[in-house]
Amino acid sequence: MTAGGADRIEVRIARVLTGGAVVSVVLLGVGVALMVASGIDPGATTFPTFDPGRLVGDLVALRPEGFLYAGIIVVVATPIARVLGELVGFSLRGERAMAAVAVAILVVIGLSVVVVAVVEG
Amino acid sequence: MGIGLLLVAGGAVAGLFGSLLGLGGGILIVPLLTLGFGRPLREAVAVSLVCVIATSSAAAGAYLRSRLANLRLGMVLVLFTTIGALVGGIVAFLLPERVLTALFAILLGYVAFTMIRRRDPADADGPAVLADGSQPARATTRLERATSALAGPDYVVRRLVPASVASLGAGVLSALLGVGGGAINVPTMHLIMGTSLRVAAATSNLMIGVTAVASAIIYFLRGAVDPYIAGPTVVGVFVGASIGSRISGRVDVRILRALFVLVLVWTAIQMARRAVGL
Repeated sequence: MTAGGADRIEVRIARVLTGGAVVSVVLLGVGVALMVASGIDPGATTFPTFDPGRLVGDLVALRPEGFLYAGIIVVVATPIARVLGELVGFSLRGERAMAAVAVAILVVIGLSVVVVAVVEG
Repeated sequence: MGIGLLLVAGGAVAGLFGSLLGLGGGILIVPLLTLGFGRPLREAVAVSLVCVIATSSAAAGAYLRSRLANLRLGMVLVLFTTIGALVGGIVAFLLPERVLTALFAILLGYVAFTMIRRRDPADADGPAVLADGSQPARATTRLERATSALAGPDYVVRRLVPASVASLGAGVLSALLGVGGGAINVPTMHLIMGTSLRVAAATSNLMIGVTAVASAIIYFLRGAVDPYIAGPTVVGVFVGASIGSRISGRVDVRILRALFVLVLVWTAIQMARRAVGL
């Protein structure tokens, strides 16, 4: 392992994290602006449940919930993308132990989806 | 309409204070949403987790570029914090809200106490002095030699077993109360594993985003994340934290910290009253 190689992984992961944070805040910012413009009162208004099938339609129609849900999804997806980046980076460098740690983290995160599926029936 | 802008402003104050005082936003956002905006605790925890992930992603990118955070050490401990967060995310929906509120009041009291005794990470650059007098960068036990592939060039993963148990606890705490878990992560790395306080703080920041994801997914898929509350709060926290990181060198944090301890104590009392139904 060279220090330069390790640095490349860290710089790429830093880009993923910063990029994800910026994209998510932009999406949420647009959603908040649309929400304010639409006169939606948070707390007083029943929020729409998340429906993946409606997301694109809501974005195209400039509905606030589309941008807000898209922003939240990017927030949650950013650390997952980071772990995927670590998996790819360490695998390419032949660091099997670190790649295995990344896989294990992804499995645990995946289990959270399974848990909800089981609980919700 | 006004509530949305108030949430942005409240989130910005929480992000600003959190950034200036080196706290995760969660310790401030949950009381803000429950006591300030009358939201149910579980919903506040869900929104707080989204805020924690967003601010962690932004800050962790900078810490990685500056080479302050230890990516490998963070990954090893994240494996345990995510397992804890998975368990905490399940338990959070089983516990009565009063119990969670009481736990949050205790956490606020603990954070207020640690802030009084706190050392500034900037004052502690060097590696910790380990109880056995050994060098943090040198493997001495069989387990440390076995886990040498999990460390960077200048660090050996020390005392993995107690650190993993503490990390599991940090994950459970994060999922139950919507905080990052830094209150456990930083002492674990500094006092148990022998990293410097600055590296521990930076690496903890790197860890909390992934940790919070495991439980945030559970809250999100179970419909506990209100986008109309989460959106303005996350935007506010992000803006406040960005301002805080720019002005942190020009602010006398000692006075701010003393005032903040009073706020934490007052908030702890209010949460405790709520927990017992007063």
